[in-house]
Amino acid sequence: MPEILLAATALTKSYPSGSRELLVLDNVSFEAEQGARLAIMGPSGSGKTTLLGLCAGLDVPSAGTVSLMGFKLNAMSEDDRAYLRNQFTGFVFQNFQLLSTLTALENVMVPLELRGERNVQPKAKALLDRVGLGDRLHHYPTQLSGGEQQRVAIARAFITSPKILFADEPTGNLDEENAQQVVDLLFGINGESKTTLILVTHNLELARRADRILEMKGGRIVQDKRLSVS
Amino acid sequence: MIEYIISIKRKTKPFWRDLWIWRMAWRDARHNYSRLFLLVASLITGIAAVVSIGSLNYSLQNTLDQNAKELLGADLVLNSNKKFDPSIVAALDSAGVTVAGDAEMASMVMFMNTGQSRLVKLTALYGDFPFYGNLETQPTDALSLMKTGRYAMLDESLARQFEISSEDSLKIGNRMFKVAGVVNKIPGGGVLTSTLAPSVYIAMDALDSTGLVQFGSRVGYSLFVKTSGEEKTKSTIESIRPLVKKLSYSIETVEGRKKGLGRGLQSVYQFFSLLAFVALILGCIGVASSVHIYAREKRDEVAVLRCLGSSGWQAFNIYFIQVLALGLMGSLFGAALGAAIQRTIPLVFNSFIPLDIPFTTSWPAIGEGLLLGALVSVLFTILPLVAVRFVPPLTVLRADSAPIRRFSKMRWSAILLIILFPVFAAAYQSKSWIVGLGFAGGLAVALGCLALVAVGLLKLVRKFFPLSATFVFRHALSSLFRPNNQTQALMVTIGLGGFIIATLNIVQHSLLGQVEFAGNQNQSNTILFDIQPSQKDGVISLIKEHKLPLNQVVPIVTCRLQELKGRKIEVMLQDTSVHIPEWALSREYRVTYRDSLHRSEELTKGEIHSYRPGSRDSTWVTISEGMQETLEVDVGDSLTFDVQGVPLRARISGIRKVDWPKDPPNFIFVFPMGVIDKAPQIWVAATRVGQGGEANQFQRELVMGYPNVSLLDLRLILSTVESLFAKVALVIRFLAFFSIITGLIVLAGAVVNSKFVRIRENVLLRTIGARTRQIMQITVIEYTYLGIFSALTGMTLALVGGWALCRFFFEVQLGVGWIDFFAVGFAVTLLTVAIGWFNSREVINTPPLQVLRKE
Repeated sequence: MPEILLAATALTKSYPSGSRELLVLDNVSFEAEQGARLAIMGPSGSGKTTLLGLCAGLDVPSAGTVSLMGFKLNAMSEDDRAYLRNQFTGFVFQNFQLLSTLTALENVMVPLELRGERNVQPKAKALLDRVGLGDRLHHYPTQLSGGEQQRVAIARAFITSPKILFADEPTGNLDEENAQQVVDLLFGINGESKTTLILVTHNLELARRADRILEMKGGRIVQDKRLSVS
Repeated sequence: MIEYIISIKRKTKPFWRDLWIWRMAWRDARHNYSRLFLLVASLITGIAAVVSIGSLNYSLQNTLDQNAKELLGADLVLNSNKKFDPSIVAALDSAGVTVAGDAEMASMVMFMNTGQSRLVKLTALYGDFPFYGNLETQPTDALSLMKTGRYAMLDESLARQFEISSEDSLKIGNRMFKVAGVVNKIPGGGVLTSTLAPSVYIAMDALDSTGLVQFGSRVGYSLFVKTSGEEKTKSTIESIRPLVKKLSYSIETVEGRKKGLGRGLQSVYQFFSLLAFVALILGCIGVASSVHIYAREKRDEVAVLRCLGSSGWQAFNIYFIQVLALGLMGSLFGAALGAAIQRTIPLVFNSFIPLDIPFTTSWPAIGEGLLLGALVSVLFTILPLVAVRFVPPLTVLRADSAPIRRFSKMRWSAILLIILFPVFAAAYQSKSWIVGLGFAGGLAVALGCLALVAVGLLKLVRKFFPLSATFVFRHALSSLFRPNNQTQALMVTIGLGGFIIATLNIVQHSLLGQVEFAGNQNQSNTILFDIQPSQKDGVISLIKEHKLPLNQVVPIVTCRLQELKGRKIEVMLQDTSVHIPEWALSREYRVTYRDSLHRSEELTKGEIHSYRPGSRDSTWVTISEGMQETLEVDVGDSLTFDVQGVPLRARISGIRKVDWPKDPPNFIFVFPMGVIDKAPQIWVAATRVGQGGEANQFQRELVMGYPNVSLLDLRLILSTVESLFAKVALVIRFLAFFSIITGLIVLAGAVVNSKFVRIRENVLLRTIGARTRQIMQITVIEYTYLGIFSALTGMTLALVGGWALCRFFFEVQLGVGWIDFFAVGFAVTLLTVAIGWFNSREVINTPPLQVLRKE
């Protein structure tokens, strides 16, 4: 039986909004096994991104628990959660989130360097080669197109060989051609490394490449649909 | 699910061993140095001000220590206001020391080349003065020529003013002297001394032949003594002390002169160093402001780093290393600039001290500046930068995420240290805890008041918002209330610079107003003194012949106090419980007699009694308000005067408030007619002389007919005082300018800070149809508002502060030079608009599509 890497139990999240509390997530539970490709879909304001943030330890729930790689995130300090993210997770964001003052190569190297590893450049170069940017190593983010920036972000996400990858609307800022390239890369490398993928998207076509879709509405999971593996 | 790890073991390293931090700091900084330009600029101005003043102090102290004897030109000086008794000369002879001497008095000198005349300090020299330092003349043999008795030398400034050269002649008293040359430098002299009282030097043997020393003439005599060393100086002082005391002479030593000068310089230094401190504090605000902006800009990147696994401390340290490195660099530049500026300041200070200050580089001052820069860099960057530690990683998903936690020990420690810093820094700068505490408190009060005025002004603007104004004016005004616009902080920082300069202007104008009486119609601008009784009628006729107004002719009798409220003065001088200053008890008073008030006087208490011969306690005098407080006497108290050997008992009948500068001469004591009329006396006359030829002709005839009568031209004093003020004001303005520059750096920072909000706003405006011209107008008007409000903030407080200084410190009437005052406000506004406009060019020039695409 596949190992469960991520378990969300009765997650609730609310934010203060003026004088009242705004409930964004309402009693959400799900699990994700190793190697799973899970897409979270739903209309704007349904709580997808909030759920992703809580699962990745970027925020803490108002109630409920998140267990990532066996760690109870609620009980950990912010710095310990950061360490955990560095050890086990990767991220791809809609707006790429590259460090603007670092070159493509340096951006990719950061997660490994943070671990204190040495001689990380060959691995970073190989990954940039893999995403088709071997000739853009020393370019800064502002010198790259949106598609290229997202490919750098994918290389950065995979350089630590993460157990679990969180992707928030990875094609949201890209045109169709670039989106297709990025999706192919994301799923391609994911397939090779057997990384668990948690993907937030509006795009049904993209979601269909996952093997499971959680559909959200009003802060709740309204459908948990398992797809046949293509 | 396998719970295979119970707890996490995070490897933590101190930041100096965490190579990744250093690498990231370097990589990130490659493209960020320009963003921290504001930090560097703030430090440069603050540290430059501190180093320049600190260096100057070191140079002054060194110069004083190394050239102390040049201050006197001798080891010891005896001073007296009468000729030295032969017994003291004999005592010095037997002590085996070398002696020289001089006599100084005020006298008119006529320059024969032009026929012009001027009141000068006439110095008659004998012996080999100076024993230390050089008496530099041009030509070099001028001194030996002068000693022959037929020649005179004069100060360089005087020679320049009256275009005197060798071969010209001077008439001093009854005698003509040929000019031997000019004196460039004399121990104990200085630019200030020669500006206030320029000297003419003659040989002592020639003094009597001028006929200037007559009854009532005020002559100061000095004996310059050279000993074989310090021990000999001490033993000489001990041996002559009883005689000196008996004859009422005073002794001046090198140490005493040095201390006196040192104290004076210390006050000037303290004042200037505290002005430099203001620039430093504003620099600190600049540093904190620029780091605050930097930390805000870095928020997104920190969130990404946190997402990728960096700890809060790691993120903090990356930027802390950058800021600290730049801070040190700024300090280094600031110290270098300060050292360069220091080389220009002695040009001004040379006017105040009788020594040449060498242009030396003071390494201790530079070291202190660097240390202070490092301290400021650490202290004032921690507080704004500590926010980096609490940037939530969730920011990568939601830009408006709340910080992780608000309480931080580091933040509170930084706040505490920042509060303490001004106290320590001001105490260190002024070398006095009391001054430090007072100044830091004063600065806090000033900043608090500025903040209050700023808040009040903004509230008023909100309350009376001009809703009917055109769109451009309304929009520009409402921009001041844009979130994060730091409008209040800007009004305070820019206002502080304006406040210092405007206050300076007010004080300067008020003080000058006290001596500007010479320019007022009908008031005397020329005083003739030392008129012998036999010359009185002749001088009056001369004044009338020239159709000049005779504003006053008053007799002057010299006397001393013998008893005060029944107690002998000698006893009071030895009584330590008496708090009346020694000078007030032992000085010579120049009194007059009349039965009415002068127009510059007002009776505030008591009455004026006429003399009634035969009655008991019949002599009633009036006293001026200030001296009544100093001598601690009141109406009815008794005094005994020693009128040139004759004791005279009197009682105080009234107290007069005297407007001293108005229509001089004015007097402390006024006797009634009929009491001291027969005492030996001289006369003083006051008149008003016009400009140019009329004045010259009158002066020429006065000097020719009455050579011993001196003429004091109050207009000359006014222009001298004005030029002195100008020199001091230059230094103060220079240092206040540092404050303005720093304030503008903070402004530039704030403009940059709000740049992105502005760009979005302007793009929106342009998208809905605003023209570039309108956007430009809005920008200019917004900064004009800001400039005007900042200037108003500073100037409002300057009026209050200036009034308080004039009323309680200088005790003069408030006088505001409105043109200068508003010129300061205008300059502050103009600079604000210029800086605001310069930093907003990108905002105005960004094409709308570029921003909309980014959105």
